[in-house]
Amino acid sequence: MHPLTPSKDPAPLTLPSPQGGEGGGESGYGWFPYALIAPAMLMLVVVALVPFLYTVYLSLHEIRHAQVGDWAGLANYRTLLANPRFWHSAGISLLFIAIAVPLEFGLGLAGALILNQGVRLRSIIIPVLFVPTMMAPVVVAILWKIMLAGSWGLLSYNVIERFGILTGTSVLASPSLALYALVLVDVWQWTPFMMLAFFAGLQSLPLTPYRAAAVDGASDLQAFRRLTLPLMAPLMAVIGLLRLIDAFKVFDTIFLLTGGGPGTATESTSLFVYKTVFDFWDLGPASATAVVIWIMFFAFANGFYQIARRKLGAF
Amino acid sequence: MRSSRVALFTILAVAWAALAIFPVLWMAAMTVKPEALMFARPPAWSFTPTLEHLHYVVAEGFAWSLVRSLMVAGLSTLLIVVIGTPAAYAFARFPIRRRDDLLLFVLATRLAPPVALVIPFYLIYARVGLLDTYVGLILAYLTFNLSFYVWVLWSFCRDLPPELEEAARADGYSRTRVLLHVVLPLLRPGIIATSVLCFIFAWNEFLYAFMLGGKAVETLPVAVPKLITSQGVKWGELSVVGIAALVPILAAVFVLQRHIVRGLTMGAVKG
Repeated sequence: MHPLTPSKDPAPLTLPSPQGGEGGGESGYGWFPYALIAPAMLMLVVVALVPFLYTVYLSLHEIRHAQVGDWAGLANYRTLLANPRFWHSAGISLLFIAIAVPLEFGLGLAGALILNQGVRLRSIIIPVLFVPTMMAPVVVAILWKIMLAGSWGLLSYNVIERFGILTGTSVLASPSLALYALVLVDVWQWTPFMMLAFFAGLQSLPLTPYRAAAVDGASDLQAFRRLTLPLMAPLMAVIGLLRLIDAFKVFDTIFLLTGGGPGTATESTSLFVYKTVFDFWDLGPASATAVVIWIMFFAFANGFYQIARRKLGAF
Repeated sequence: MRSSRVALFTILAVAWAALAIFPVLWMAAMTVKPEALMFARPPAWSFTPTLEHLHYVVAEGFAWSLVRSLMVAGLSTLLIVVIGTPAAYAFARFPIRRRDDLLLFVLATRLAPPVALVIPFYLIYARVGLLDTYVGLILAYLTFNLSFYVWVLWSFCRDLPPELEEAARADGYSRTRVLLHVVLPLLRPGIIATSVLCFIFAWNEFLYAFMLGGKAVETLPVAVPKLITSQGVKWGELSVVGIAALVPILAAVFVLQRHIVRGLTMGAVKG
């Protein structure tokens, strides 16, 4: 192992280190590994690191009409933090995540436990459940515009009007309900994925502890609380965190279904960034927002990496 | 007792799947629903199918959007397979300086919100003339797809037993030959699964195509607003486009099933 790599080879069990038989540390490989990663890493630097640094640069300058002006220090960040619309959008994003993600998590876990009861027809049920998750956001938007269309939408007519929730107009156009409609769409799209991910986790649990529990006369509920939950915990953390990240950055579905409206009723942080750039052409504060979001995501990504690696041994 | 329990849970699971797929079936029915019944109250469940919406969509040239979508998704995936495969393999097999930092960079790139990235892309592209070009779009798709591919294929590479490679080395194969003739064939299922997912992500992508593209590279997702006309929204036609965009996804889902979970959880869950 090279002295600079702090010898945290994450998967010593699945990956016997190949240099063992070759007798030499890194020198045994020379430039070969670096030649293999160079094209991909260079490309990622060009398409991710450079744009990121450019955004940081923009956020620290005064920008008028897409022309980069004087050094502005943290002025753009101050403008951003003083903008009530930014805080409003952060609140919308948080509300959206706070309702949608726990729902998807709970329903997904319940669904996975159902699937895990030796359910038949799984070779049909599983691919069908994948369809909403893999669909293009544009298709999701078309689908739900149709289901939730005012007066003639299937769901509007049969459920929303019947229960007197709203009549005459689409829930997507209602300032008080539009966000919940978006939550519904998100839950529809992502619960099946959570379900199948949890199910895959349940399927990979070791059987021995369950046999022992059965011998000891443990009930199903006890086995679930004492075995399934602790064994699944790291996996649930990883999947939940990943969903949290995705739910926070959701843009297309909201953009296409409500455009952030009516008014700013569904303007999540992603939509706020989009509008400050492409509607108001306010590049300074927009870049500042992008940087703030980026730093947040880096923290998320790091959290995901650490949990997946330390607790799950996945990487 | 046991079998009635299985039957009960099977019914529950089937009902759940039916609920998930129902809106898709409803949209599929809209593709052949006559215009006159489109806005019926209560919504019409039975009708004589018509092909008017399909004809309109074909006449409007949506087939070209389909071709452009195939080009962008196909070419970007091809590029990613070519440059991403060696990288994923190297990360799994060789000691690389600051490997953990590099991998975290790859992951962070994948998780970064596109709405924050599209700003610098737009400004840089406007300056260098890459707006509304295939090259521009394909490059932009590398951010989420190359990082995804390297990361997930890396997880497949770690599952390969190193003994075969060691044996080939002992037989005097060069490292390049080991990679091409030993590793690649073994890795094929992983490469196929991961690249099909990349293709789907590119195929589905909206924001970059919408902001960085234009008439010349108008992919299927961004062609959709053309159906929202001054005479109103063409729902039947929208449904046709929606189903067209869905077909490759359906095909992929049935082929890939097991690997989708692994891909979507970034390799954390082995499906």
